[in-house]
Amino acid sequence: MNLFRVLEISGSALMAERERAEVVTSNLANAETTHTANGGPYQRMHVVFGSQPMTQGAFPATLASFTDMHAEGVRVQGVVADGAPAVRKFEPGHPDADDQGYVSYPAINPVEEMVNLMGAARAYQLNAAAVQSTKNMIQSSIDIIKS
Amino acid sequence: MTIPIQGLPPQPDATFTSSSAKQQPENGGFLDTLRTAVDQVGQIQSEADAQVASMLNGNGQDVHSAMIAVEKANLTFELMVQVRNKIISAYQEVSKIPF
Repeated sequence: MNLFRVLEISGSALMAERERAEVVTSNLANAETTHTANGGPYQRMHVVFGSQPMTQGAFPATLASFTDMHAEGVRVQGVVADGAPAVRKFEPGHPDADDQGYVSYPAINPVEEMVNLMGAARAYQLNAAAVQSTKNMIQSSIDIIKS
Repeated sequence: MTIPIQGLPPQPDATFTSSSAKQQPENGGFLDTLRTAVDQVGQIQSEADAQVASMLNGNGQDVHSAMIAVEKANLTFELMVQVRNKIISAYQEVSKIPF
């Protein structure tokens, strides 16, 4: 059942890319959001990916270090806010305008977010293709037994 | 000229004298192995079933993990079927031996 771990690694990558797409879509949706729950404009978010051993627990991890189980999956380690300063626009009639009439908009470039979304979608496709070819590997090892 | 038909000379006792009539291996042997394999396939299938049901119920189940579980179930089932085919063909091969 070792080949199934390959499927699990690809599965973890699919999950991570889905979360990345979620965050990017959130940035796109909130490109013009001037009002959030904790005040101020929406902050652009980034995902941070980290590698993740496919074995849980201390003992399996130690055991894995003695065998050939070096492959690691991926997970979203955290979502961090981009520290870029807000873009100020002069809109005196806006409800979120400050006393000088300026409104703070999030520093989000929709084109850049769109490119990030394309990257996430392509990476998802890539990992789905890896699942497909792992499936073919297992299938061909089953085909050995066929007469 | 006639040849008188005589009975066969007495034969030594030809009945099988095996120590135990039914030789059953101690720990079930092959049958047990097959049963365990079928059970495992069933377990993987029910896991896939649960994941698909959870996805369809809208419990926030990931589509890809459900699909991977289904694919695992499919592959393990196919492996079991192929092993079974191989065993049956071996059995038929043996049963064709003339005696």
